[in-house]
Amino acid sequence: MTESTFDHPLKRRRLLSWFAFSSGQTSFLLGVLMLTSICLLAIVPSLLSLPKPEAMDLLARLSPPSEAHLFGTDHLGRDQLARLLAAIPISLGAAAQTMGIILAIALPWGLIAGLGSPRLDMVMMRLSDIIMAFPTLVLALAVIGFMGASLEASILGVAAAWWPSNARLIRALVLSAKERDFVRAAHMAGASRSRLVFRHILPQILPPLAVMISLETASVLLALSSLSFLGIGAQPPTPEWGAMLNEARPFFAQAPHMLLAPGIAVVMTVLAFNLVGEGLRDLLDKREPFRW
Amino acid sequence: MFRFFLNRFGATLPTLLGMSFVAFAIVTLAPGDPVQMELRAMGVVPKPEDIAAIKAEYGLDKPFLARYIHWLWRAVQLDFGTSIATGRSVIEEIGLYLPATLMLAISSLVGSIVISLFLGALAIMGNRLTASLLRAITILLVSIPSFWLALILIHVFILDLGWSRLVGEGDLSDLILPALTLSLGAGASLGRLVYERVRAEACEDYVRLAIAKGISPLGILISHIAPRIIGPLVTVWATTLGWMLGGAVIVESIFGWPGLGQLILQAIGQRDYPVIQGYLVLMGLVFVTTSLIADLVVVVADPQLRRRLHRD
Amino acid sequence: MVNVLSVSGLKVTCADDKALLNHISLDVTKGERIGLVGTSGSGKSLTAAALCGLLRPPLAACVDHLDIDGSEMRRASSRDWRRLRGKKIFQIFQSPASALTPGRRIGPQLKECCKQVGAPIETANLALERVKLSCDVMGQFPYQLSGGMKQRVLIVMALILRPTILIADEPTTGLDVLTEADILAALSEMLDETGSALIFISHDLRAVSQVANRVLVMEAGAIVEDCPVTELNQSVAPAARELAGAAKALEAIC
Repeated sequence: MTESTFDHPLKRRRLLSWFAFSSGQTSFLLGVLMLTSICLLAIVPSLLSLPKPEAMDLLARLSPPSEAHLFGTDHLGRDQLARLLAAIPISLGAAAQTMGIILAIALPWGLIAGLGSPRLDMVMMRLSDIIMAFPTLVLALAVIGFMGASLEASILGVAAAWWPSNARLIRALVLSAKERDFVRAAHMAGASRSRLVFRHILPQILPPLAVMISLETASVLLALSSLSFLGIGAQPPTPEWGAMLNEARPFFAQAPHMLLAPGIAVVMTVLAFNLVGEGLRDLLDKREPFRW
Repeated sequence: MFRFFLNRFGATLPTLLGMSFVAFAIVTLAPGDPVQMELRAMGVVPKPEDIAAIKAEYGLDKPFLARYIHWLWRAVQLDFGTSIATGRSVIEEIGLYLPATLMLAISSLVGSIVISLFLGALAIMGNRLTASLLRAITILLVSIPSFWLALILIHVFILDLGWSRLVGEGDLSDLILPALTLSLGAGASLGRLVYERVRAEACEDYVRLAIAKGISPLGILISHIAPRIIGPLVTVWATTLGWMLGGAVIVESIFGWPGLGQLILQAIGQRDYPVIQGYLVLMGLVFVTTSLIADLVVVVADPQLRRRLHRD
Repeated sequence: MVNVLSVSGLKVTCADDKALLNHISLDVTKGERIGLVGTSGSGKSLTAAALCGLLRPPLAACVDHLDIDGSEMRRASSRDWRRLRGKKIFQIFQSPASALTPGRRIGPQLKECCKQVGAPIETANLALERVKLSCDVMGQFPYQLSGGMKQRVLIVMALILRPTILIADEPTTGLDVLTEADILAALSEMLDETGSALIFISHDLRAVSQVANRVLVMEAGAIVEDCPVTELNQSVAPAARELAGAAKALEAIC
């Protein structure tokens, strides 16, 4: 904000616009790149001849990175790299399932609350408020507590705790989409409910919805791996990054290499989703602040 | 104005009722015979022969609604039964560990607010480059799981530098690392929020007039923009406290901070349903109270709302 | 006569290098009152924003020479602009509804202006009187005032700041004719009192002719005419003649 106001000779600007991406574009592209790489990495094990993730080689327990085991081995002699890669479909799959459940509840909920009568809206919002009144992770813990610890329980627990905030967001988007002039015009011209929804409202809310989905997936992924880390999500021997870090805990001082890789894997995946979401959000937001 | 407060407070009651129903009904999630599970939830592990008799004794052969009301009556008196694991009453059990968790949650909240204001201010006042850099750092911080951050911090500060010890006894100095872990992640995301809100306000016409008057950026931030964003910020702070209450479970388990986190994890492992139920209800209560306070603060802070309420 | 504002070669472009303003040049002498007129979209507000250094991305400006009361602003930094704004050059914007800070009472917002120029607080009260606003306004919030009152509050700010150049961007647009008369009267009061130069921007020639004696006509991002108001209908530029003709037609009706 300390640049000179008139310091934009046209020639220089034209040059810059060729090279510089806006920060929104950078984030988005970087995030998509990372996600694609991670998905591609999931199929790598079948291409390279890596040991199977369950194969235990007790003689080589806790060995640091070597030629045979690129990322070292864990306390049961299993190859870390193989486990890391095997965890990709599991972690991503769990996150996808959770988001699927969340959207399956939140999308209709938000649409109905936003488009229905004010009475219905109030009742539906009250109901979701009740769920939101519990601290999110606490509710997930309780669900897991009663269902018994497992990956499925953690998926259901996180979905149960995360859906109301998403429903609220969707409702807000629907409400503001509903008020746009062209939607009201279509309504007055006699368009049916479903036509209004599918041709006018959904296309409008799709871009901010995409932002929401990316950012929420990041949050859900963090929650799921946290629960697995606590031992109440994915159960051994299922390879999952949080669970792998939990297993590494007792051996932390002797084998620090076990700490790094799964943690970095979580950070990279969550980061990818956050970059995609933030990048999209930036691209959609056209307003610029006044320069002081 | 008083009537408004009363109204707002009254509006919370249906929510609390709904929450109690959820806490009661959640027992039905447990696998196995639901009524046996409910017995378990009351802290009774029956022998197969005695099940029918015990059911009658505890009124479990009555319909769902009647059982709910019976449970609710006891819950309102803070009687959540006895813990299966320790045999102590649930409320006593929770009461032992609750203060430590609250201390952690509140100090983490304060820490995250401080970090967020610092990061937000830095991003606003700096030039384009600092803003982009800070944004990148924020997105990164928000992507780091708290459990991994905790492990890294332990490795650096405890094992390598020896500045602190691992087995916590609840002294204040042991609070620093756990609170820092929680504060960093939340502080980064709150800082982003502060930056976004300020940026959104900076697009408004009144800022343009303030600039035209020749007022310094700091002056505009403090006198014009801050009052506008304080309301939404306080609401988010209340939500963040809820997040801290949940995140505390992870951090307490890693740092050995003697709070509810350890209690609930044990309870899940031992299927100690009374404790899980009591935990759910009490955490919900704390959260609802904080949200209520936040809502009231928002109203008091907005002069337009205050005047309208005064007139009624 | 010394120029308090002198700009030449002002060019404003949009993101795709489309030129929105093309080589604007104008001079304003001390105490002079000029009007800047043109149809909607001719670039009047853009010019005003550029002169105060208030353009925001994706708009970009470049200029050969911009002199505000002796200070060359072509390479000025934000700090330089801050020193000038308010005291040397001040702008009253269109839509007063959103110009005043919503959550703050009028009093503190006026006191802020007093602090800017080091004037005592009584200045604000006196200024309110000159535009025929009651002193109760000080304790009120913007949402409690009407459009005309809010616009007069902006003029009060100008009165307090006593800028060398005042730019008034469509100050009477959207207000009824009676309020417009009040605003223009208040504006004249302010100018008489402070001796400021005025650039009055409007698409309404009638309002402009009541305050200004010289008028600049803009069309499609360029200044096409610069003459006294009375000579507008004899102008070479068709845009200027059209404006003059339309204004005359309106006058003939009432």
